[in-house]
Amino acid sequence: MEFLGSFSGAFTSFNLLIALAGVTLGLVIGALPGLSATLAVAVLVPFTFTMAPASGLIALGAVYMGAIAGGSFSAILINTPGTPSSIATTFDGYPMAQRGDGGLAITLAVLASTIGGVVGVVALWGLAPPLADVALAFGPPEYFWLAVLGLTLISALSAGNTLKGLIGAAIGLLLSTVGVAVVGGDVRYTLDTQVLLGGIDITSALIGFYCVPVVLDLVATRAPHLKLPGNGGYRIAHAVRIMLAGKLNLLRSSAIGTLVGILPGAGGSIAGLIAYAEARRASKYPERFGKGEPDGLIATETSNNATVGGGFIPTLVLGIPGTPPDAIILGALLVQGIRTGPSLFDPQGDGAIYTFMAGLMIAALLVLPVGLLIGRYAYRAILSIPKPLLVPSLAFLTIIGSFAIHSDPSDTQMMLALGVAAWLLQKAGFSPSPIVLGLVLGQIAEQGFVQAYLIGSAQNDLPGMFFGRPISLVILAVVVLTLAYPLVVKWFKSRQAGRLSEIGEILAHEGQPEQKPFRDTPAIVFGGLFAILGILAWLEARDMSAMGSVFPTTLSLVWVSLSLALVARQAFKPKAPRATPDGSERPSTPRRVLLVAVMTAWAVLMPVLGFFVSSLAAFLSITAIASFERMSPRTLVVNLVSGIVIVGAFYMLMSQALGLRMPEGIGF
Amino acid sequence: MRGTSFRTLIQALAMGATLALAGGAQAQGYPSEPINYVIPFNPGGESDVSARFQQAVFEQVAGVKTVIQYMPGAGGAKGWSKLNSMPGDGYTMMGINLPHAILQPMQKDVGYKTEDLVSVHYFHYTPDAIFVQKDSPIKTLGDLIEQARKTPGAVTFSGSSSYSSNHLAQARLDELAGIKTTYIPFSGTGPAIAAVLGKQTVAGFNFATSAIAHADSMRMLAVATEQRMPAFPDVPTFRELGYDLVGGAYRGLAVPSSTPEDARRKLSAIISGINAEPEFRKKMEDGGFVLIDIDYEKMPAFMAAKQKEYGELADKLGIKPR
Repeated sequence: MEFLGSFSGAFTSFNLLIALAGVTLGLVIGALPGLSATLAVAVLVPFTFTMAPASGLIALGAVYMGAIAGGSFSAILINTPGTPSSIATTFDGYPMAQRGDGGLAITLAVLASTIGGVVGVVALWGLAPPLADVALAFGPPEYFWLAVLGLTLISALSAGNTLKGLIGAAIGLLLSTVGVAVVGGDVRYTLDTQVLLGGIDITSALIGFYCVPVVLDLVATRAPHLKLPGNGGYRIAHAVRIMLAGKLNLLRSSAIGTLVGILPGAGGSIAGLIAYAEARRASKYPERFGKGEPDGLIATETSNNATVGGGFIPTLVLGIPGTPPDAIILGALLVQGIRTGPSLFDPQGDGAIYTFMAGLMIAALLVLPVGLLIGRYAYRAILSIPKPLLVPSLAFLTIIGSFAIHSDPSDTQMMLALGVAAWLLQKAGFSPSPIVLGLVLGQIAEQGFVQAYLIGSAQNDLPGMFFGRPISLVILAVVVLTLAYPLVVKWFKSRQAGRLSEIGEILAHEGQPEQKPFRDTPAIVFGGLFAILGILAWLEARDMSAMGSVFPTTLSLVWVSLSLALVARQAFKPKAPRATPDGSERPSTPRRVLLVAVMTAWAVLMPVLGFFVSSLAAFLSITAIASFERMSPRTLVVNLVSGIVIVGAFYMLMSQALGLRMPEGIGF
Repeated sequence: MRGTSFRTLIQALAMGATLALAGGAQAQGYPSEPINYVIPFNPGGESDVSARFQQAVFEQVAGVKTVIQYMPGAGGAKGWSKLNSMPGDGYTMMGINLPHAILQPMQKDVGYKTEDLVSVHYFHYTPDAIFVQKDSPIKTLGDLIEQARKTPGAVTFSGSSSYSSNHLAQARLDELAGIKTTYIPFSGTGPAIAAVLGKQTVAGFNFATSAIAHADSMRMLAVATEQRMPAFPDVPTFRELGYDLVGGAYRGLAVPSSTPEDARRKLSAIISGINAEPEFRKKMEDGGFVLIDIDYEKMPAFMAAKQKEYGELADKLGIKPR
């Protein structure tokens, strides 16, 4: 099959149209938290049955490509990853938007997504069969070390207070063990409820952890959500200059994304986190990461779109899906009668695969214009929607997003509970990102560890299993490098300054330049609470099987010790003097309480009153809560109509276009 | 401004509506609108793939479409524990698997009891089978058993999750052959097969369906069917080799218990109809699925027999009936 021939095959007007429609739909769905790439692809599969195999695949691949790019929009604009792949985009994207650089951040995200997407497809095109072997070389110990590598990000995510970051990660890791264990089958930490049996859904946790605190802070003050940009527009020239300055970052992140995409059971979220960690380590200004550093955003968005092409490699060569959307696409392939395997890439074959890859390349390129267009609309919309409509719209997004994942109202209730908890924790200085990191990496770490332990024990070679395999050792070396690098740099600097300093002392002060001199009372309260919960978790772990209890036991003990260390550290500090009001607007607690009350009623009553009825009522109530001025009759009408239109439009999108079964109850 | 964001929405809606309306004419009476088909597992596994095969011919047989959704968690238990609280109007159905739905409640409180679930039809099973990577020195089941005898515990099998059909088959083989092997649970068939292909484990106790995509890279040593499978005439059964091991994962459909009798019967008839489509049959059999037709009438006897069979096996796995 000729290179040009396959491109002309993809360039039929139907295939181009399919790619364009797919990318557009993907960008919109990806930008809505909860409506993920997996959901978009799952809904579309039946419509591809009637298409030619290559066209059907292009449609699915284009939706997937668009959704992963679209996930960055909500990460940047409302601090909520639109798909789990964009978790690390929030770290720098949202701070950029807050300071007025939202337009630049969106342009960067789209450019980075395009480049990552293209690199992934090139790897798929040129190197698929040899790269597929990477997927097979990754065994349980490698997955374990990969998760450990991801966890090294904790220190970066908790700048200012490593101890609190570590406590957060322990919480996330423990949360990841909730439910029925894959390895061993233990039922863990379900509090004897059915709701927790399946564990904590990562997507609904993401919405809760990131979006609910934003909404709660938004409702409390008159201040606008984002700072208005000084210089608006795309700022494409500026963005291109930033990208060119970070060529190495682009290359590294694309490679990480492609490789992690190849690993079944890893996926875009982990690719983004690892690319972010590596970009920070390699950067000249690691301290800027997390405060709106474009390189962090670029690393994540490049790598997660590279996982699209990368993920197709094991899917097409081995018949083993690289990422969850690939799993659905694999099913569609089988129904189409396409046999996966290296022979698919045989140049003597019918060439459908080459038409598909050409189509995927076109889709990756289409992300650029369509993404810039949709991204700008999204940015303008978020900037210009008045607060009394923005707050209920975002609250509505959290509710429908968490519901749409599995059409399950209990996911919505879980989202809200986690969200309120995350807000409280955030006020006490525990940022949500280390918790999310633990939650995302926990299962991979635990399964990898226990499987490696079982295999190692069976072979009577445990040390060899964990420390004797080449790929494991490489990952372990990167882990050590990532952890030790900042210390070595500091040690060097302090030597140059002529002041010999103990490594241990550096360790103690690493990442904590501004220790508060006064007592942090909330930290003591939470520390004490965590210590008690940790002991309870430890007690419950004693009833589990040997396989199922390794992680919970270790983690609960770590959690208890870290929490006690936090309490001990704070208890002996002097009390802080009463803060004097500084004239800025005080956040309104009643509004927050009311909002939580309305959202709770919403989540609980949705199955009783029906989706549309409960949503409309809640939307209008929240509009009232978020209004700081008396509404004029005109505004009242505008808000009322907007509420009906927004709720109605999403109801139609979910029930008609996506075919989800909505809760009916006594209404509809 | 609101207009522009709204326009984007309208565009998305228009696209969705076109897609939804592409379905065409709908039949009178039940079913008259799309039926939701909930898969209580992650996409990409055998349950998802077979549902996708059914989805492709569903409209042809039933006159309406089916919409597949996923509610994964707890090895299926999350979905099954919620099934009876879903609307029982005949427009929600859920995949159900054995031995999962029998073994899980026996082992612990998983929020449902086997007797509470209303199965309307079992349509196929995927036989358990042993695989090794193609370069493995193990050529036959005899080789494998001999190695397990020499080094008790050192032969590792990858399989899909704990207390599953794969796990059960491994425990039964250990007992029948008087050997000791180690079962390594993975989060699904995909990762378990990757472990076999990557030689992370000595062998895999997986499903015969995996042989299709990996015909060039894996060797199937034995399959747990009564007779040799048409798709794999060269692969011996365990019975031929002297081990009375027949089993696999049975897949069927369950509905909320509030679903009326005639809807249950109608769904069972639809599934039978799909199973009878010649093209569908061929695709499934080529894919390594063994089609069966346990319809709504035969269900009580089938479930009673399976509950007895798995109950006895559960003892051997160390699951204490509660």
